[in-house]
Amino acid sequence: MRDRLIHGLTSFSVDHPRLVIGLTLAITLAFGLQLPKMTTDTDPKHMLPITSPVRQYNDQVEREFGLHADNLVVGIVNERGVVNSETLSHIAELTQRIQKIPGVVVRDVTSFTTIDNVTVEGGSLAVRPLLGEVSTSGEELAALRRALLENPLLRNRVISEDTKATAIYVPIEPSANGREIADRIRQMLPKGDSGDQYFLAGDPIARDTFGYEMFQQMALFSPVAGMVMCLALWFMFRSFAVVVANMAVAMISIVWAMGLFIGLGFPVHIMSSMSPVFLMAIATDSVHIFNEFYFRYGEVKNKRRAVLETMTAVGRPVVLSDLTTAAGFAALATGSIVPVRVFGLLVGFGTLVILLMSFTLVPAILILMREDRIAAAAQRERSQGAGGSPLLAKLASLCVRHAKPVALAGCALLVVAGVGLTRVRVNNNMVHWFKPDSEIRSADRVLNDHLGGTSIGYVVIRGSEENAMHEPRMLRSIESLQRELEKDPVVGKTHSVADFVKRINRVLHNDDPAFERVPDSATEIAQYLFLFSMSAKPSDLNNVVDYPFQSANIAIQLKSWDAGVMRGVLDRAHAHLAANPLPGGTTLRPAGIAYFNLVWNDEVLWGMVTSFLSGLVLVLILLVLETRSLRWGLVCFVPLFFTIAVIYGMVGLVGKDFDMPVAVLSTLSLGLAIDFAVHFVVRFQQYYATHSELDDSLVWAAARPGKGILRNAVLFALGFAVMGFAHLTPYITVGVLMAAIMLLSSISTIVLLPALIRIFDKRLLKGRTT
Amino acid sequence: MSTRIVIALIAAFCPLAIHAQEKLTAAEIVDKAQAAFYSPGSDTKARVVMDLINADGKKRTRVLTMLRKNFPGGREQRYFLYFHEPGDVRRTAFLVWKYPEKDDDRWIFIPAVNMTRRIAARDSRSSFVGSDFSYEDISGRDLGADSHTLLREEKLGDFACYVVQSTPKAAAEFSRKLSWIAKTSWLPLKEEYYDAQNQLARVFTADKIEAIGAGEKTYPTAVKRTMKNVQSGHRTEVVFESVSYDVGIPADIFTERSLQQAPEKWMR
Repeated sequence: MRDRLIHGLTSFSVDHPRLVIGLTLAITLAFGLQLPKMTTDTDPKHMLPITSPVRQYNDQVEREFGLHADNLVVGIVNERGVVNSETLSHIAELTQRIQKIPGVVVRDVTSFTTIDNVTVEGGSLAVRPLLGEVSTSGEELAALRRALLENPLLRNRVISEDTKATAIYVPIEPSANGREIADRIRQMLPKGDSGDQYFLAGDPIARDTFGYEMFQQMALFSPVAGMVMCLALWFMFRSFAVVVANMAVAMISIVWAMGLFIGLGFPVHIMSSMSPVFLMAIATDSVHIFNEFYFRYGEVKNKRRAVLETMTAVGRPVVLSDLTTAAGFAALATGSIVPVRVFGLLVGFGTLVILLMSFTLVPAILILMREDRIAAAAQRERSQGAGGSPLLAKLASLCVRHAKPVALAGCALLVVAGVGLTRVRVNNNMVHWFKPDSEIRSADRVLNDHLGGTSIGYVVIRGSEENAMHEPRMLRSIESLQRELEKDPVVGKTHSVADFVKRINRVLHNDDPAFERVPDSATEIAQYLFLFSMSAKPSDLNNVVDYPFQSANIAIQLKSWDAGVMRGVLDRAHAHLAANPLPGGTTLRPAGIAYFNLVWNDEVLWGMVTSFLSGLVLVLILLVLETRSLRWGLVCFVPLFFTIAVIYGMVGLVGKDFDMPVAVLSTLSLGLAIDFAVHFVVRFQQYYATHSELDDSLVWAAARPGKGILRNAVLFALGFAVMGFAHLTPYITVGVLMAAIMLLSSISTIVLLPALIRIFDKRLLKGRTT
Repeated sequence: MSTRIVIALIAAFCPLAIHAQEKLTAAEIVDKAQAAFYSPGSDTKARVVMDLINADGKKRTRVLTMLRKNFPGGREQRYFLYFHEPGDVRRTAFLVWKYPEKDDDRWIFIPAVNMTRRIAARDSRSSFVGSDFSYEDISGRDLGADSHTLLREEKLGDFACYVVQSTPKAAAEFSRKLSWIAKTSWLPLKEEYYDAQNQLARVFTADKIEAIGAGEKTYPTAVKRTMKNVQSGHRTEVVFESVSYDVGIPADIFTERSLQQAPEKWMR
């Protein structure tokens, strides 16, 4: 049935090539009209649905404590120390100007001029912004320096221990764009030779800059990769028509798939923005058709016959490899993460379009080619070896002769890969998506060196009843938990309601350091907090304790954006609390961007890993069904399995994190590495059925379809190697790993499969030889 | 307790309103509004219930007795605030001596440690007891601190109002303020505070106005008022219960000594 359908489609296309081309272009135009409606969404947070518990809980904590999800940090470093009148005036002016930027939460911008300082002045209690009028007197500056350093609420938060660095913390509205605000702040930075250096850091800048640059780089590298592939195609086949046909298939599948999903109203997300490159890659599958076509033409010297025979010969492997690819991507739709599902279905659909084009547009273009050009090209192919590539033939016969050592070497590599796999760390760090010397990453490094940290996590302690946070025992527990957490080298600073209580106690008692402790009575604590709330900015207290004084929020500044950092903090907290329990009925729950990243890491990345594994299983099932043999299915599966194991083993061995870009890549390997084995095995079976000489058949398969496989792989590797020049590390990763995957899976097909089939020939070929 | 008479305000102040409409400058209007809002009578006593409500709808309630006395010779005023609730801060008391054109003097008494502390005036834009009101919202802002422009006259609900824009001369908590000042009672019925980005930040509304009688006089009083931070969603609702004017509060109540031992008679 399927063969008849393929044959029917092919003959129709060969008979009416112009109609087929015209029809294809018309449909493409219809899908293309949807493209201008494109909307984008670059926030990785949105990969978790709004209804996910972590997003809801985070939102609740933020509302309850009046916190902001997105914060920028403007770091100011001066080697002379920032407490000098010039730098202070800059800070004052910059703070004021930042507050005027739309999207900035005016009331909660924190800097020297807005942060409250609780002190004693001539016997009076004073709660007022740290910096009022900027003074030029050395004495007053020295006093300010002292005030900064002796106040634990300020130290490491707005001033570094060496007073060389300070920061302006800039919360922004959820709808605001961190990159655009950062750009406006950059324009405001005072110029001159005061020695001040400015650094902008924070998750929203990284995220929005990445989102922006990602599209830019995609727009740059997709066409460049396409062009490199065109050039490579030209050098392989010396045929304009081949280049056009290949690129047309790629473009058409991209336009149809993107058009369909944009038309259905899906925004283009980080994942789906990569689908053009994916589809371009999958479309190179048609190389097998061209490869075979030139060999056939050389044999039959008739264009029409060559097309039809080519399609009959490669029809089955093309269908099988594209179907498994489509199924592999569609398997991503089984996961829970919406953008990953959209991506899977989009690429799956695009693959089916490529499949359709292989039997319609490609034969139509082939039949329209000028006969003399084909003849010339076929002649060139033949001159390199009628039965395929002589070099590959030699390689394959070597592998067939030394099948066992080859298989053993493969096993040895698998063992090494296995060791690497155990070392793979699933971790995402968005700041590391930028190169080490990039502005964003250096800013983050400098700020983390000087101050408490650019990332923030919260631990919410909830007492069993209202006013629980007035209990001395509770506050002391919180305080000891803070001290414990601060032992972690990535924790730069913590602050909680206990710090405010201690500060007020000390200040009320004439700044006597002996009173810098939690008082012994609940009433005293209640009244201190009341006093503080009477004088300070309401947000100071609201950020650390909730309205009924039942929950307290410990804010933890972290020096790393690694997702695992918060896990370490929580493990430490739980271990400490096991030995020093909180008062009865008290619960602890984490929140904040650092915790969100941890959950995101676990849910999104592990979600992708499980979708990927189910994709693998699905591919294996399809292979078994298609080859109607468990053994042959397994054989086809070997190069894919081998490639994935070795590549991710390498990732583990070199200590690269399994992050979002690598996870995306894994799905790509699923779609591509399988193709080679399918082509090899199906063509081998066809040849073996008519020639029945095992070693010759294997060598033939490695030399002729193998040439197509190697061409396909090289084409691909070249296209992706271009990405190595990108300035975002995920693209470099994708480029380098992609080239490695392609080369490895093609070589493992050409080298491993002949050896394996040779070793297991009796079981595999039982009843087939005669 | 003094008699409370609720009168239809338009009727009561009609003759006054007609008289007042003769070309007042914006500054004069604000001056009259401040007098009507911040210093009616020679003194006043009220029980104040203040609800601080956050965006989540969670509430903190403060109940206090407020005494105010105007001192002769300009606009000097003294305030005495005594907290009844929340229970764990009971007996906390707060004393403010307010001077025109000069920083306030403030003292607080903390009963748990039996300690009175002077509080250095933070700039008067800071929050009043954690509410959405700032100190100057409670006790008034110097007339000369802003330049005032009469924008228009319009009705707000049933009341004819002047709409005055006040722009601070020096940096302040707001970049400009619009006030709807009733022509009859001179009370500000609504105020809009704009932030540095010229976005609406806070809105004050006088939600309920009663004319409180004292002897022969009546004082229109905003007995229910709300200040809402429209950006954070936080709001403060204040209800003045049992307001009385011209009750003859002795001046020695407004001293550090009575902070520690608040005279019970006046705190009820």
